[in-house]
Amino acid sequence: MNAFWLKITSNRFYKRLLKEPFTYVTGAVLLAVFAIAHLAVFSKGWGVTSAFADWGAWMYKLVGGNVDNWAYFSSEKAQKTLSGGFMNDGGSIRNLGIILGAFLATLFASEFKLKKIKSKKQIVAAALGGLLMGYGARLANGCNIGALFTSISSLSLSGWIFWLFLFGGAFIGSKLLAKYFM
Amino acid sequence: MAEFTLDCLGEACPVPLMRTEKKMAELSVGDVLVVSIDHSCAMKNVPEWARKQGHNVEIEEIDDGEWEVVIEKTK
Amino acid sequence: MGQTAGPATKSTRTRAPRKPKKSQLPFALLATALVIVFGFYLNYYNDKMVVYLLFGISFGVILQRSRFCFTASMRDPCITGSTSVTRAVLIACSLATIGFTAIKYSAHMKGETIPGMENVGQISLALAIGAVLFGIGMVIAGGCASGTLMRVGEGFTMQMISLFFFVLGSLWGAHDMGWWRAHVIKDAPAVFLPDVFGWLGALLVQSLIILLLYIASVKWQEKKMGSAE
Repeated sequence: MNAFWLKITSNRFYKRLLKEPFTYVTGAVLLAVFAIAHLAVFSKGWGVTSAFADWGAWMYKLVGGNVDNWAYFSSEKAQKTLSGGFMNDGGSIRNLGIILGAFLATLFASEFKLKKIKSKKQIVAAALGGLLMGYGARLANGCNIGALFTSISSLSLSGWIFWLFLFGGAFIGSKLLAKYFM
Repeated sequence: MAEFTLDCLGEACPVPLMRTEKKMAELSVGDVLVVSIDHSCAMKNVPEWARKQGHNVEIEEIDDGEWEVVIEKTK
Repeated sequence: MGQTAGPATKSTRTRAPRKPKKSQLPFALLATALVIVFGFYLNYYNDKMVVYLLFGISFGVILQRSRFCFTASMRDPCITGSTSVTRAVLIACSLATIGFTAIKYSAHMKGETIPGMENVGQISLALAIGAVLFGIGMVIAGGCASGTLMRVGEGFTMQMISLFFFVLGSLWGAHDMGWWRAHVIKDAPAVFLPDVFGWLGALLVQSLIILLLYIASVKWQEKKMGSAE
């Protein structure tokens, strides 16, 4: 049976489409097309991180916290999202879709492997990096998607300013990485 | 004409690239470096970097999601 | 570190016999079926959710298949001098700009509210600080927001940890937002380029910026790596 599957996956069209990586430019064109379609369908640009704040609020609730008097969640829209729950929140489902999409693409390429943590340094890096990204994304009202890609494409000056300072941050990050995390 | 190995299994981007860059600088012309990688992005950016530097590069998938990038130093 | 005699090419290298590869295609098909079932289940909640799921899956597949990495677009110019990903991001922005502007302009002509204006953000010190923090974080954690999600799907334990802390950081940020809004952001201006240059002017200015950045990134790589490829 394995031979049968291997025969399919070694077909040259299969390899082209599902195995060998696309070029960065192909990825860029496809991302642009889907980002435009997203705006056309939902009248809203693609974003990733605002759903993370809702996830945080739900987790906080699970451990007994309450975010109702936080200014960030005070708007009617935010309250509606929070009470609607994960399964009724488009942003959360879209993020889940990204995870599933990457998972499926890796499986179809026959390249899935659970990658374990190699050192304690990685844990520190992941935790610190995650915290910085989370806090930063809230301050800047978005991430590399919402505040950069979608924002620049929306002809917003804020996207370019975000880019400029993100570049500065990446420069500092590269130095830190080389010094402490290699 | 020596062969060296570099184990980058479990390393996340851009560590494999930075370590490869460092290691390649220590090698002499004609030496071969075999970099083991299991990071799907590194299997693209390590060979890309090496090709840009003008080295000979080959990629082999040795297991599901595990690659060996073979780089021959040319200059 | 095995020493080999003769020219060090691949053919002379000795390696351990490899175990036969196992195709993951059956698991891929099974997982696809499960995702489809999940899609129908979602439909039960709210018919828009399936569309969101489809978009998410598409973005995930595109990001994974092309290894598109916003982090690398910022980081690689510093580390190796390579700007191939940077240029891809510029191409994505330029194409999306055209489509976005078409949609916005047609809404404007019909006198409707222009869609997607949430992404025209306020320009304040908070934006700059947030961007710097985000930039440091994404390089250290080995992935930006979309990249972290994608790598969770690929099975990276490290990014699963970073996603958890990303959510925690978002909650922390949301907690402090009241203060930032009251003291830093206040009524900082949001600049929509067509309001300044007109629609055509904004497109031209934006294209010019992207073109100049593209040329700069080609030159940067030539200088750093000696090749623009």
